[in-house]
Amino acid sequence: MYYIDLAVTGVSFGCMYAMMSVGLTLVYGLLRILHVAHAAVFALGAYVVVLVANATGSIALGFLAAVIVTPLFGIAIYRLLYEPLLRYRPDVPMIASVGLLVLMQDAFRIMFGEQGVTFRQNALSFTTFDFHGVTISAVQIALIVTAAVVFAGLHLFTTRTRTGLGWRATVSRPKIAASFGVDPVKVRYLNFAIGSALAAVAGGLVALLNNLVDPSIGFVVSYKALAIIVLGGLGSVRGTLVASLVLGLVEAYGTIFIGAWLDRDAIAFLALIVLLMIRPQGFTGARTA
Amino acid sequence: MLIRNRRLSALAAGSLSSLAGLVVLATFAASPARADVKIGFQAPLTGPAATDGKSAQIAAGMAVEDINAAGGVLGQKVQLVTYDDQAKSDQAIFTANKLIGEDGVKLVVNGSYSASGRAAAPVFQKAGVVMIAAYGVHPDITRAGDYMFRLVHLGPPQGAATALYIGKTLGLKKISTITMDNDYGQATMDGFIEAAPKYGVEVVNKYSYSLKDRQFGSIVASVKRDNPDGVYATGYFFTGGPLVAQLRAAGITVPIIGSQAFDSEKFIEIAGPAAEGTYIIDSFDRDRKDEALQKFFTEFKQRAGYAPEGVAAITYSAVRLMADGIKRANSAEPDKVRDALAATKDFPLLEGNMNGFNSLHEMIMPIQVNEIKGGKFTPAGSITDLNAFAPPEK
Repeated sequence: MYYIDLAVTGVSFGCMYAMMSVGLTLVYGLLRILHVAHAAVFALGAYVVVLVANATGSIALGFLAAVIVTPLFGIAIYRLLYEPLLRYRPDVPMIASVGLLVLMQDAFRIMFGEQGVTFRQNALSFTTFDFHGVTISAVQIALIVTAAVVFAGLHLFTTRTRTGLGWRATVSRPKIAASFGVDPVKVRYLNFAIGSALAAVAGGLVALLNNLVDPSIGFVVSYKALAIIVLGGLGSVRGTLVASLVLGLVEAYGTIFIGAWLDRDAIAFLALIVLLMIRPQGFTGARTA
Repeated sequence: MLIRNRRLSALAAGSLSSLAGLVVLATFAASPARADVKIGFQAPLTGPAATDGKSAQIAAGMAVEDINAAGGVLGQKVQLVTYDDQAKSDQAIFTANKLIGEDGVKLVVNGSYSASGRAAAPVFQKAGVVMIAAYGVHPDITRAGDYMFRLVHLGPPQGAATALYIGKTLGLKKISTITMDNDYGQATMDGFIEAAPKYGVEVVNKYSYSLKDRQFGSIVASVKRDNPDGVYATGYFFTGGPLVAQLRAAGITVPIIGSQAFDSEKFIEIAGPAAEGTYIIDSFDRDRKDEALQKFFTEFKQRAGYAPEGVAAITYSAVRLMADGIKRANSAEPDKVRDALAATKDFPLLEGNMNGFNSLHEMIMPIQVNEIKGGKFTPAGSITDLNAFAPPEK
């Protein structure tokens, strides 16, 4: 049972990482910018969920508000921060992005307090199900189901719909796509909107799991998600998904062998270094959106 | 494009400088216009440790007001000179030098974490400045020299006392340990693991986690497999809260024993019903019939909007002790204050009476235990065998 418990934990870690990293991958694939401020979008999502949920008494409304607010915020980041800097070298927008992240973290601290915000009612994080000795919490189920739906949806969207095809075309061949009438700016907006909404959902779920949203909630995203997209082969959604799941499982099973000496993050980064030595190009060489 | 660009950066720069201005203003506003005895104060007011730093700052401000309301020291007012050390060693050294060079401060209360207290200590020692570390637990702080004092039990003695409490008082045999891998978490756990066999406590398995972590799924699954009699975890309330919630959610019902820094109302808020039955070692007795403590509680809550935790209480006491040292020395000269502090006997801290300092200027005092019952901190005895957790001597 222990190994299955760990598998459940690993997969739920993986789903969480996948949802927080996919926005980064999308932005990198399209604009070649390391969108570090994505961590701030994630944190914003978590704050919106907890604040709206506490104000209205409905966690569902919290998530609804978050997927409305964060895409607008993501688009604003593109329009106001990245677009004016696109003409410069890619490290310029990246530095601006780091600046925005630091600013947002302190803004959260000043506005909502150092102590963080907890859910007034969070039955979800204290509800667990027992399947013949394997314990799964309601939030873990929510994480796994949401990630499955999101990635299946994303796949259908990019292979079956006109907009999705246009998006994918813009990522791989921007000029040809434009000549076929795909508006590259619209694609960018769409990109930031979807990536931000997914980060917000992940942020909200992590908030439920921790029962705490503090200014440092975006930390994990800021370093681990960057590692994941490198491992996933920069810009590939499929690679990101695979890398996230691998990392989640490595962290979970790593606890058995080296958990006494190394924490989860150290195990993850050790694995990352080893994997990149074996496959410097990441899991997938090909770029798809 | 360029113009908007410039406007944006001007905007950013403007808001940054106004932020900095605010901080400076706040520092000045907090101190009286004319004051004579300066006490330097370092705390992490920004960054990830700002939660504790803010509490420490409010408490230190309250202590100064109380001292001045009671006539100050040596017929003069006390003035607090505050700097943000961000709980970083480089920032701690930088602000320590500022306190010494620019502000001419001779007496300092460090309301910060080990990392910065440890970095600042040698700087102050070299300049002959007295420093009281309110809650920085790294051993190097007092080892820096004879001008250093500490008002918190060191990590290893806390751990040793925990082993005594778990083995003798709770009578638990098999323990899984979960260590937060920073100075404080590791030092405390080392003391526990060393002392555990003396009290018949066996460590079944050891796990560690990072300060940034809030998801403990794999540790929880492993503890479940260990099936221990109890779980001992070191950490802060913001890691301990999610940890305890996740352990309980997985159906682990054995007693959970947490280290000192679990001590916060916020811990109960985060862990919710799961907090019930958690023991906190070296936690402070909030219900003690003590006028000063009850007054502090009420006033702190009014100012901060939340109840004070151990960090706030000990920082308040540290500033009071410094003032008491000045009074007893009948001088603000650092050498005399140092000698007066070293001779401290039965000083009333908000947590209770401290016996005094040992030769290394480590605090000697019984350790209080709380249990969370009905969503409240409830006294669960105190560990009075001072020899069982004696701090190191010189």
